[in-house]
Amino acid sequence: MIAQFILSVLLAGIVVYAWSEYARSPAVAVLTLLVASAGLYFVWMPEHSTQLAEAVGIGRGVDLILYIWVCLSLIVLLNLHLKLRTQMELITALARKIALADARPARVPSHSAGAAKTRESARPGESGGKISD
Amino acid sequence: MASRSQPYVVIPAYNEAQVVSRVVAELGRAGYAVVVVDDGSRDATADAAHAAGAALVSHPFNLGQGAALQTGIDYALAQGAEVVVTFDADGQHRVSDISRLTEALFQEHAEFALGSRFLGQAPNLPPLRRVLLRAATAFTRLTTGLQVTDTHNGLRAMTRRGAGAIRLRQNRMAHASEWLSQIADSGLRYVERPVTIEYTAYSLAKGQSIGDAILILLDLFARRLYR
Repeated sequence: MIAQFILSVLLAGIVVYAWSEYARSPAVAVLTLLVASAGLYFVWMPEHSTQLAEAVGIGRGVDLILYIWVCLSLIVLLNLHLKLRTQMELITALARKIALADARPARVPSHSAGAAKTRESARPGESGGKISD
Repeated sequence: MASRSQPYVVIPAYNEAQVVSRVVAELGRAGYAVVVVDDGSRDATADAAHAAGAALVSHPFNLGQGAALQTGIDYALAQGAEVVVTFDADGQHRVSDISRLTEALFQEHAEFALGSRFLGQAPNLPPLRRVLLRAATAFTRLTTGLQVTDTHNGLRAMTRRGAGAIRLRQNRMAHASEWLSQIADSGLRYVERPVTIEYTAYSLAKGQSIGDAILILLDLFARRLYR
């Protein structure tokens, strides 16, 4: 009974969270809501989960829930991975922009294509590249 | 030929302070404009490269070689470069091979000229690495349809048009295959030319291991999912 109570509180919390996320991403919210509601239902009606498990050919209800849990976790993981990748691309674009804005032109005006060299050669205190090799 | 302007050499560098100035100086003596992209190095790579005469673009933190190459290409194009060359910082490429590649661009009317160590020479190439590189080549041939002999060679030359067709999104090492898939997608003409890769103790220590290869493979598969 204690376990059922604790699980119910946690799942109810997820339901509330899903509700609050509805405006941001309806699809994810509805999916989360469904999963949490199904969880609540099976917490109080474990025998129903066993019946369902037997219907699809899995021994126990707990096993069925475990399998579903693993699948959902993998989907969440993949989703997070893709989100991180997208973020990394944005960070890269940002960092590149900053790097290019702060570029230090070559000290020794060399045979560069383009007009940027005229700007650089105006910098004072230039001496030939000190090379030690 | 009007477009036969001096190539712009792009060097991505991450913690290469020991060797980068020698490479930059040698390129400078050969008359090339050089831009070093310091990829968030923790050592004195940036100052060493700049002191040796390169233009310097510094990433605020480490983003990976693919990202550094793309930044360098962007810089070179912004400077008006008509020909862009990518070159490794660790001194394993030969400066004299650059003209061989750029000549090939004009003679063959190609937009990309790719260096190949298997057409050329690779003294001291360890056998295990040879196997690894062959496997990577087979994989890339299969996925891009390009008939290249060396997919992980950092020495490439391209025209302005070719460079504009490249947009590397794989920040880490998987960019090597990305180059080829984008060359294939662009439909632009490419040629391969033999180049010499000199494996020194330094470049071998910095090179990639089997573990890296597995990571690259994972990364590539993730990319397939992502698109």
